Amino acid sequence: MKQTQALNLQQKTIKALGVNTSDAKVSLSYLSVAFLTLLIGGILGLVQGLERAGLMELPPWINYYQVLTAHGILLLLVFSTTFTIGYQYANLSHALGGLLPKVRKFAWTGFILMVIGVVLAVTMVVLNEASVLYTFYPPLAAHPVFYIGLVFVVLGIFACCIGVFINYRHWRKNHPGQTTPLLAFFAMGVFVLWFFASIGVTVEVLTLIPWSMGIVETTNVMVGRTLFWWFGHSLVNIWYLVATSAWYVIVPKIIGGRHFNEKLIRLVVILLVILNIPGGFHHQIIDPGISESIKFLHVFMSLSIAVPSLMTAFAMFAVLERAGRRKGGKGLLGWIGKLPWGDVRFLAPMIAMIAFIPGGAGGIVNTSNQMNQVIHNTLWVVGHFHVTVGMSVVMTFFGICYWLIPYLAKRKLTPQMNRLGVIQTIIWTVGMILMAGSQHLAGLLGDPRRTSYTTYGDHPTALSWVPYEYVMGIGATLLLLGVIIQVYAVINMMFFAPKGKTAFPVSEPEDGAPSAPMWTERWGLWVVLLLMVVAMAYVVPIVDMIVNAPPGSPPIRTW
Amino acid sequence: MKQFLYGLVLYLFLLLPPVAALLESIMIIHMHMQMPLLILSGFLMARLIQLKFPDFFRKWNSNGVPGIMLFSIILVYWMIPRTMDEALTIEASELFKFISLPFLAGVPLRDSWKKISSAGKNSVFIIFIILFSLMGWLYIAADEQICNNYLRVDQITLGWGYVTMAVCMAIYVIQLIFGDHSEYK
Repeated sequence: MKQTQALNLQQKTIKALGVNTSDAKVSLSYLSVAFLTLLIGGILGLVQGLERAGLMELPPWINYYQVLTAHGILLLLVFSTTFTIGYQYANLSHALGGLLPKVRKFAWTGFILMVIGVVLAVTMVVLNEASVLYTFYPPLAAHPVFYIGLVFVVLGIFACCIGVFINYRHWRKNHPGQTTPLLAFFAMGVFVLWFFASIGVTVEVLTLIPWSMGIVETTNVMVGRTLFWWFGHSLVNIWYLVATSAWYVIVPKIIGGRHFNEKLIRLVVILLVILNIPGGFHHQIIDPGISESIKFLHVFMSLSIAVPSLMTAFAMFAVLERAGRRKGGKGLLGWIGKLPWGDVRFLAPMIAMIAFIPGGAGGIVNTSNQMNQVIHNTLWVVGHFHVTVGMSVVMTFFGICYWLIPYLAKRKLTPQMNRLGVIQTIIWTVGMILMAGSQHLAGLLGDPRRTSYTTYGDHPTALSWVPYEYVMGIGATLLLLGVIIQVYAVINMMFFAPKGKTAFPVSEPEDGAPSAPMWTERWGLWVVLLLMVVAMAYVVPIVDMIVNAPPGSPPIRTW
Repeated sequence: MKQFLYGLVLYLFLLLPPVAALLESIMIIHMHMQMPLLILSGFLMARLIQLKFPDFFRKWNSNGVPGIMLFSIILVYWMIPRTMDEALTIEASELFKFISLPFLAGVPLRDSWKKISSAGKNSVFIIFIILFSLMGWLYIAADEQICNNYLRVDQITLGWGYVTMAVCMAIYVIQLIFGDHSEYK
C-alpha cells in the first residue's frame, strides 16, 4: 500500500514537472545518432541488396565487402546500441524520478567515447582497411585503428552500464523495502547483461590489437571466435530484452490494459540475464575445434532461452486478450478486433511480436545441430536476423519513437504523424517479408551469405537463386523507403511537431495483483549465477582450445 | 514430501550406471557436476528426514556446527585427487561416494545452514574459497598426471573450474558483506 502510494506520488511529480530537460538531452542525443546511423546504414543496405542481386554494379572505389561491413557495424552495433541507451536512460529517468547528475556525466562520457570509437572504426572501413564484416573475428585482420575504435565503443558501453548501476543503487538505498519500478528493473537487466557480455569482446579485441600491429605473430582463431560470440549472441538478447521491456510495460498502457503479473515479468528478466551468454556457442556449431559433446551440451544452453521467451509469448497474449475483452470483445477471437490497430504505437510493436514467432522458430532451426548444417552460412541466416532484429526488435524501437520522442522533445504526436507511422509500418513489414522471406528460401537452396554477386559460371543451381535475389532487392528498396519515412518522422517529432505534453505510457498492475517479491532485487546473486553459468559453459571448451591449440593464425587480408 | 521425491528421483537418476559412467568419463563433470548433484539430492531429501527424526538432529546438531563440520570433511575428502581415482577403480569407494555425498554432506548441510550464524557461514565460504583456489592452482600447475584415470588436459580444465568457482564464491561473499540483505528476508 505504502509502496503504491509512494509510486503514485512519484508519478504525479513527474506528470507535473514533465520531462527533466537535462535527461531528455542525453536521450535525444543518443536517439539522433541512432537515426542518422539508420539512414546511412539503410542506404548501404539497399546498395548491398541490389549488388547482391546483380541489379547494380558498385563503382570501382568501393567494394561489396566494405558496404557489407559498414552496413552491419552501423545497424547491428551502432544503431541498436545508441537507440537502446537513449531509450533505457529515458526509462530510468522516468521510473526513478530523474537521473543523478553524475549518472548524466557517465552517459555523456559514454556518448563521446562511442562517437570517437565509431568514427575511428568506420573511417577504417571507408578507407578499405577493415573489410572484416561486422563480426570482425580472426583470421581476417583489420587495421589496428579499427580495433582501437571498438575499444572506445566498449568503454562507452561500460560507462553507460556504470551510470545505470549507480542510479539504481542510489534509488534502492533511498527506498528501503520497495521494489524498483519495472522499467528500471528492465534497465538494470539490460545493462548487467551488457556489462558481462562486453567482457568477452573486450578480451578478444585487446588480443587482436597487438596481432594486427604485428607485435604478436599469431592468434588463436577458435578462442577469438568464441569470445566474439560470447558478446555477439548476448547482444542479440540485449536488444530482445529492450524490446520486451516495451512489450510488457508500455504496450498494455497503449491498448488500455494492465501489465501481467510482475513476479513473472521479473523472473523473465532474471532468466534472460542468467542464461544468455552461453547461447553464443550455437553460432559455432560447424566450428571444427569444439567437441560434439560440448556442442550437444550447448544446444540445451541455447534452447534454455526459449523458456523465458515462451513465458513472454503467453503473458503477452493474455494481456492483449484481457484488454480486448475489457473493451467489449466477444467470442473466441472477438477481442482481436478491439485492439487499436490504427495506433502506430501499438501496431509496430504488435507486428514485432508476431514476427518473433517465425523468428524464434528459425532460431531453433539454427540451434539444432543437424538442421544448422543445412542452413549454415547461407542467406537463411541473413533472413533470420532480419526477421528477429529487423522486425521484432527494430519495429518495437520504431513504435517506441512515436511516444518517446514527442515526450522528450515536449511535443505532440499528431494524427498525420500517426498515419505516416502506420504507412511506414506497413511498408517496412511488406519489405521485410519480401526480403527476409526470399533470403530464407534462397538459403535453403544453398545461396551463400557474405558473398558478392556471382553465378558460379552460370551453374544451374546458382541461377535458381537469382529470382529470390530479385525479390530480395525489391524488399530492400521498400525497406529504404521505410527508413526514409522513419527518419523523417523522427526529425519531425523532434523539431517540428506542435508543442505540447505527451504522456509516458507506463502500464499499471491489475487490481489486487500481488506486489513483486523483494528477492527479485538480489542482483548480486543473479550476477554470481550468471558467472557460474558462464564458467560451466566456457571453462571446458576454452581450456581445450588453448591446451590443444593448432598453430595460431597470422593476420589475413582477403581484400 | 515433494522435495524428498525430487531429491530421490535425482538420486536414482544419478545412480543409473550409464548416467554415472557418462558423468565420470569427464574429470570436471565428475567432480563439479556429479558430486554437487549428489549433494543436492541429499539436500532435497533432507527435509523429510528432518521431519521424521527431529530429535536426532536436535541432539546431535543443535547449533549446526557438527553438521557443517561433517559436510566439510566429506567435501574435502572428495576433493583429494586420489579419492576420485579410487571411486573409479574400487567399487567400495564408489559406493561410499554415492552414500557419503548425499547423506553425510547434503543432509547435514541442509540441517546446519540455517542454524549457523552469519559469521559461521562466511567462515565456511572463506575456507572453501581458499581451498578451491589452492586446488585450482594444484590442478593447473601440476606437470604430472595426478589422477591415473584422466588426462592432463582434463586436469587443467578442472583446475580452471576450481578457480572460476572460487571467484564466483568470492564475489558472492563480497556482495553479502557489503550489501544490505535485511530487506530480502
